[in-house]
Amino acid sequence: MNAVIEDSNIVVETHDLTRKFGKFVAVDKLNIAVKRGEIFGFLGANGAGKTTAIRMLCGLLEPTSGTGTVAGFDIVKQAERIKSRIGYMSQKFSLYNDLKVEENLEFYGGVYGLDSRALKQHIHETLERMNLQHVRTKMTAELPLGWKQKLALGAALMHNPDIIFLDEATGGVDPVARRDFWDMIHDLAAHGKTIFVTTHYMDEAEYCHKISIMHQSRVLIQGKVGDLKVQTGMKTVEELFKHVVTQGDSA
Amino acid sequence: MSVIRHFVKKEFRQVFRDKQMLRMLLIVPIVQLIVLGNAINLDVKHVRLAIFDHDHSEVSRDLLSRFRSSDYFDIILADQSKLSALMDRGKIDISVVIPEGFARDLGSGSTAKAQLIVDAQNSNLAGIATGYVNGVFGSFQEDFRNRMLEKNPDIKSKIHSVEVVSRVFYNPEMNTYFATIPGIAVLLLTIITTLINALNIVREKEIGTLEQLMVTPISKFQFVMGKSLPFAILGYIELAIALAVGMLWFKIPFAGSFLLLAFSAALFLMTTLGAGLLVSTVAQTQQQALFTAWFFLVFCIIMSGFLTPIENMPTALQYLTYLDPLRYMIKVTRGIFLKGSTFFDLKYELAAMAIYGTAMFALAIFRFRKSTT
Repeated sequence: MNAVIEDSNIVVETHDLTRKFGKFVAVDKLNIAVKRGEIFGFLGANGAGKTTAIRMLCGLLEPTSGTGTVAGFDIVKQAERIKSRIGYMSQKFSLYNDLKVEENLEFYGGVYGLDSRALKQHIHETLERMNLQHVRTKMTAELPLGWKQKLALGAALMHNPDIIFLDEATGGVDPVARRDFWDMIHDLAAHGKTIFVTTHYMDEAEYCHKISIMHQSRVLIQGKVGDLKVQTGMKTVEELFKHVVTQGDSA
Repeated sequence: MSVIRHFVKKEFRQVFRDKQMLRMLLIVPIVQLIVLGNAINLDVKHVRLAIFDHDHSEVSRDLLSRFRSSDYFDIILADQSKLSALMDRGKIDISVVIPEGFARDLGSGSTAKAQLIVDAQNSNLAGIATGYVNGVFGSFQEDFRNRMLEKNPDIKSKIHSVEVVSRVFYNPEMNTYFATIPGIAVLLLTIITTLINALNIVREKEIGTLEQLMVTPISKFQFVMGKSLPFAILGYIELAIALAVGMLWFKIPFAGSFLLLAFSAALFLMTTLGAGLLVSTVAQTQQQALFTAWFFLVFCIIMSGFLTPIENMPTALQYLTYLDPLRYMIKVTRGIFLKGSTFFDLKYELAAMAIYGTAMFALAIFRFRKSTT
C-alpha cells in the first residue's frame, strides 16, 4: 500500500445527499467520505443512482437536499470552483470525433485556461503517457474504442486535477484495454490523485481501495474492500455484491 | 479571451472539415439568391386580358392596340358568350368590354362607358391589373383629348386636363430585384445564423460533449461568446456572398457604406444568434430545436413586410411587426444598399435592433445553465 493512502485528508464528503426527480428518489441520503489518494468505487446495477450521485458531486446536477463538499468546496454554492479541481469522464464518449487526437487535447486544455506553453507541454506529456503519440494527427473517429477512452481520460487530466470522476468509464471496452486503463488509474492514485469510479464490472471493483454498494438509490454497505470481505465472509467482490443486494432486497 | 479563441478555432475546424456542411453554407445561398431572386417577383406581368370589342370603330381599335403593345398584358380574343365560362375556368384574369357606340359617345362629348370584369380571387393581382387597365384608358383619353383639341382649338377652355408626371427615386427602372435581393439576403442570414447556433449546441448536447464542457470552469459568458463568435464570422461571410451575388449577378448598385452595413449586421446577428442560443436552452434534441427555431423564423419572415406590405395588415398586427427584428434589418439593408442611407437616417431602426439584440443575448445568457436544477 502506498504511503499517500494513509493521509487522512478527506477530499469528497457528503451528508444525507438526496436527489429526487418528481416523486422518484434517485439518490437517498448518501453519506460518503473519500480520502486523498484513494480509489473509491461506487458499485451498483444500472439505475441504482451512481450516475446521479456523481453528477451532483461534479456540479452538473443540483441536489434536492443534503450537503456535500469536493476539494473543500460546497457542491451547491461553490460548484464553479470545484470544476477547476476535478476531471470528469462519463460513460458516454465525450470528445469530438471530427477533431484530430491532438486537437481534442488542445481544445480541452484551452478551455481549462492553459496558456500556449503549458498547453503544448501538457499535450506532449498526455500523448506520451497514454501511448498515443503515433496517432496524434489521426481523426478521433478512426480510433478503436479503447484508445478513445484513453484519450478521453487524457483530456480529463490536461489541467492536472486533484480528483478524477470516472462514470462507467470502461463500458464496452475490451479486457486488455481495461487492464491498461486500470494500470493508469493506479498510477494516478500513487501520485496522490483521488479517483472516484462507478462501475458494474465486479472485477474492476477488486482494484478499488474502498467501495460503496448502491442498490435502489441507497448505499447498502461501504468500507475497505478487504474489511468488507472479512466482515461478510465472502471471497470476491462479486460474491459480496450478490450477498449484500440479496439481503437488501429481503430486508 | 484565450478560452474564446480556442472555441473559435475548434468550431472553424469542425465547420471546414464537414464538406457537406460547407457546401450548404457557401453554395446553397448563392443558388438560393439567384433562383429566389428571379422567382420572387412582386411585379404583376402577363395579366391575361380578354377584350370584347362590340364597337368595331377606329377608336376602339386604337384602344385595342394600346393593350396589345403593353408588356403587362397577354391578350385573349374570344366570343363574349364564352366569357363567364373562361372566367370560371381561370383562363382570364380581367376582361374589358367595349360596347357598341363607344366611339360615337366619345365623339359627342358625352360619357363613353366601358366595362371591366375582374377575377378577384387574388385581390392583390386584381387591384394591380385594374390599375394597369385604368392606366391604359388614362393615356388613351389623354391622347384622344389632345387630338380633339388639335381639330377644334376653340374648345380648349372647356377642357381641364391634369397631367401627373411621376418620377421614381432610388430604383428608377422599378427593377423588382432591387427590393427582393437585399430582402432575400437578410432572410438567408436570419435562417442560417439562427439555425446553426441552435443546432450546433443541441448537437453537442446529444453527443455528450456539452456535459463535458459544463464540468469545466468555463464561464457562461465565455461559452456563449465562444459559440456565437464563430457563427457571427460565418454570418458575415454569408452576407458578403449575398452582396457579391446582388452586385455582380443582379447588377444592383451599392449606394451606401459597407461599414454601416457591417455594423447593422452585428446588431442583427446578436438577435439571431441569441435566438438560436435561447432555442438550445429549451430543446433537448436537434429535431426539437429545428421546430422551435422554425416557429420563430416563420413569424419573423411573414411579419417583416418582405412578402406582403405591412400596410396591408390589420392595425393590431401592424404593431406586432415592431417586435420583428427582420423588419428593421430589411429596411436598414435596403436603405443602405439602394438609397445610401446614413447612420442618422436609420437611427430608429438601429436603436430598435440594438435593444433587441442586447435583450435577446442577455436573455440567452440568463437562461443558459451550467447545471440542471
